[in-house]
Amino acid sequence: MKIGIMVLEGPYQHQAADSAWHFARAALARGHQIVGIFLFADGVNNANRFVNPPGERNLAQRYEELAAQGVPIVACTACAKFRGLKPDLKMEHLQLSGLGALAEYLRQAERFVTFGD
Amino acid sequence: MEGKVAMLMRKAPYGSVYPAEGFRAMMGVAVFELQLCVIFLDDGVYTLVKGQNPAALDMKPLGDGFPTLPDVGIKEFYVHDRSLAERGLAPEDLVLPARVVSGSEIEGILAGCTSVLPF
Repeated sequence: MKIGIMVLEGPYQHQAADSAWHFARAALARGHQIVGIFLFADGVNNANRFVNPPGERNLAQRYEELAAQGVPIVACTACAKFRGLKPDLKMEHLQLSGLGALAEYLRQAERFVTFGD
Repeated sequence: MEGKVAMLMRKAPYGSVYPAEGFRAMMGVAVFELQLCVIFLDDGVYTLVKGQNPAALDMKPLGDGFPTLPDVGIKEFYVHDRSLAERGLAPEDLVLPARVVSGSEIEGILAGCTSVLPF
């Protein structure tokens, strides 16, 4: 099945970014396709390559690894500007793009799941 | 899958960024010619109230934007009857002529959509 995902929360403050990552991994392990993960609002903070939690799981690294495996992950450009997430601060395999990416994931997905507060 | 997307507006217009981002998302997605409907429920009905003035918060009135949505092709607006009534609001208090619907009607509307974006 083709699955699209939107994440509305950043790392750690809420469970959403963790849950979305676990969901994506579990779906891939069962042979589903993730058409894309759209990081929206505070969700863009999961794209920050300087996320560095001492002794804890690194959510930005986890999303980077998913993207490096070929899962399209896009952080909203406008939301990134609101939060000072400049392009050179983002993880290598994550992209900055607009709401067109969200529209495209919605168009492609057979199921679309939002993780937020 | 090509189909209709339901946007759920559930939260008060100020106090969190969700309704403003929901509005931005519906504008942004609609210009890519996806079919959308918008459902206002719970505190989300407050986003439609006329005469919002958040100047003291140094924010822009969110309600002003909704009447422009038909310009980008969004023409289906629903508002939950009980959410309105519980807040002492009537359809004439709203910035656009949303169709007032029951909870079970909302279930039917959602069942007819291929995806739901909750804000």
